[in-house]
Amino acid sequence: MSESQAGRRVALIGNPNTGKTSLFNTLTGMRQRVGNYAGVTVEKKTGTWQLPNGQAIELIDLPGTYTLSATSLDERVAVDVITGHGMGSNAPDLLVVVVVDVENLRRNLFLASQASELGVPMVIALNCWDVAEKKGLQIDCKLLEQRFGVPVVPTVAKRKSGTVELAKAVEKAIKTRPTLVRPKWPEPVQKAIKTLHEELVTQRGEALREGELQRLLFDRRSAVCERLKTPAAEHQPIIAAVRDQLYKDGFQPDAAESTLRFRFLNPLLNDVLERQAAMKKRSKSESIDQLLLHKFWGLVVFVGMMFVVFQSVYTWAGPVMGLIEGGVGWMQGIASEALVATPMLQSLVADGIIGGVGAFLVFLPQILVLFFFISLLEASGYMARAAFLMDKLFQWCGLNGKSFVPLLTSFACAIPGIMATRTINDNKARLITILVAPLMSCSARLPVYLLMIGAFIEPRYGPGVAGATLFAMHFIGAFVAAPFAWVLNKTVNKGRKPEPFVMELPHYRVPQIKLVFHRMYESGKEFIIRAGTVIFAMTIIIWALLYFPRPAEIEANVTAQYIGQITEGALSEISGEILLDAPRATELEARIAASYLEQSYMGRFGKFVQPVFAPAGYDWKITVGVLASFPAREIIISTLGIIYSLGGEIDETSDDLRSTLGNARWESGPRLGEPVFNIPVALSIMVFFALCMQCGATLAVIAKELNWWWSLGSFVALTSLAWGAAVAVYQFGMLFA
Amino acid sequence: MRLNQIKKGGLFRVKDLNCCNDCVSRLMSMGLLPDQEIRLVHEAPLGDPIAVEFNGCHISLRLEDAAHVEVEPI
Repeated sequence: MSESQAGRRVALIGNPNTGKTSLFNTLTGMRQRVGNYAGVTVEKKTGTWQLPNGQAIELIDLPGTYTLSATSLDERVAVDVITGHGMGSNAPDLLVVVVVDVENLRRNLFLASQASELGVPMVIALNCWDVAEKKGLQIDCKLLEQRFGVPVVPTVAKRKSGTVELAKAVEKAIKTRPTLVRPKWPEPVQKAIKTLHEELVTQRGEALREGELQRLLFDRRSAVCERLKTPAAEHQPIIAAVRDQLYKDGFQPDAAESTLRFRFLNPLLNDVLERQAAMKKRSKSESIDQLLLHKFWGLVVFVGMMFVVFQSVYTWAGPVMGLIEGGVGWMQGIASEALVATPMLQSLVADGIIGGVGAFLVFLPQILVLFFFISLLEASGYMARAAFLMDKLFQWCGLNGKSFVPLLTSFACAIPGIMATRTINDNKARLITILVAPLMSCSARLPVYLLMIGAFIEPRYGPGVAGATLFAMHFIGAFVAAPFAWVLNKTVNKGRKPEPFVMELPHYRVPQIKLVFHRMYESGKEFIIRAGTVIFAMTIIIWALLYFPRPAEIEANVTAQYIGQITEGALSEISGEILLDAPRATELEARIAASYLEQSYMGRFGKFVQPVFAPAGYDWKITVGVLASFPAREIIISTLGIIYSLGGEIDETSDDLRSTLGNARWESGPRLGEPVFNIPVALSIMVFFALCMQCGATLAVIAKELNWWWSLGSFVALTSLAWGAAVAVYQFGMLFA
Repeated sequence: MRLNQIKKGGLFRVKDLNCCNDCVSRLMSMGLLPDQEIRLVHEAPLGDPIAVEFNGCHISLRLEDAAHVEVEPI
């Protein structure tokens, strides 16, 4: 590869729903990389595109956008990349392929025309050619090429047709560098640009192209401002003055660009396409929407659809999760046996490493199923309808309809939920959605509910109340989330202007199964990389805190004490060496494990912190359980199992654990001898788990999507909230207990 | 008459837009300009947001934003 070829980049830009990503996938195959643009959370997708002449092109899939007036992050990234600022270095070798939806030619070419002002060579891909042909839309490509001055290639990304022609056109365009014809701006606009050039470029040395100056002139809050070296106090008045002058000259700056650019485009599109009488004839999508957006039936279908999604998440993923759990247990067994000679290594490998990997791998099936449905709904066009139906419910607390799906997803797991917030282009709504997502009751909390309800609620009040409690626990977080979002909206978001909620309801499409699976695969991979590594690391740390220190005398002491107890009773089988029967040996082992845990750093820390949790009714053992489950909630089950000395394999349905918890007594303090667990304590534990931010992986994802401060803030806020609620529930409950 | 007041069924023409509203300037760059024909296609269950059609595409917007677009029946 020669040097001139190495840096060759092509960016795909286009409106949302033009099949741009589909084209990107077709052109790059599986050779893609997904990352983030520096400093912003817009997804950056790049891939390698092999041209017929053997040249390898770096293909960039820019976020779908209607305009370059960079108010949202997506648009800002698009401008940055096209002007060569988004990819780390200047990109004089960038070529832009504008993906144009034949059905909305005029609106799509508006974006192309904006991009052309930035001086980049361009090729137009007329996508969805098949749909247009079916609808009787005739487009004269030759005429379009002639008038706009750039190659125009019809493509159907889905069927890979036109991709060879597109590659050839790009090959040629890299040499000839064709640029789209640009409008001749009226005198006042030209004057304004000239003034800006004089003030900013000539006098202050800003590196701005004419297209960027246009952005500063036409956009009220252009993101280009953020790149200026000149301080805001200095450049803002300059821009304001120029815009004022433009207004005096008869052009309202906010409306000037759309008005003038469409005025320029309209005659160029004359005779290019035969337009059908769209306004009168109902499209197929509109007929479908008569049902799906119906005031009553639309909601019925929506609720039904969400029910099916969730049912599938549990039923499809359930068996696979069981298999994974079984597999993890099996591997732990093998590892334990193999390493029996080195107890520390045995515990590290079996409990720490294999247990840690298992702890997050077990959620992978659910996440894959969820993402299967999310991409299915997105690709079909239904997602926008869901947002449309739900918007009003979310408006009052600063969210919008697009928050619905991420929040719903969070009921399975907050991590894919938070990842799914990227579809919310309003940053303000996105921030709040991310911060309340961990309050949705994820599936990792379910084992805790099942244990507490099974052990305490059901035996006393019967299955009816047990079911109702389970249901209530699932929604307590959502009830708290609403006022929490409202408060966030009034405090941290104060003064931020919301993005306009303007959303296209795209035509329904039959989803491409291949793309749906591809998306599912990408999300699964991202989950493993993002969440997996964090959960894994934290599990090892927690393992170490629970394991060390490990003085050998503990084992001896416990054994001696145990033997002493037995001898007092009915033990007579001493013949030089002490031999215990199998159940007694197991019990002794469990007691040793429990003593070690009590002596461990985590055990000591639990005792130290216990007074904080005393108002919520927790003894030091529950406190250790709560603390140990901060990296991941499900850890509490196994920790409680060890600490109440049951040892080994424990799950939430284990009868032993339930009865042991029921028999646990206070060992000291004012309630000495009383049962540790009663109804208020059980409820208090459940409420704590429902509200608390006990998930290291979620914190890591929040940090990735926002930053570590938000992550830390949400940790502190949700943990205090959970503590407060747990204390309130316990204290209130004790009045009736 | 404003866009938030129109009923289903009729065809309308855009008379004027308040381009100081962010939502409206977004709509303008999507091609909603004076003289554009527009009609209401859907209302969400609680009456807000609404979906309108112009230029063959369906766009949803909130009533408070729609109030910034002035229309007249054709």
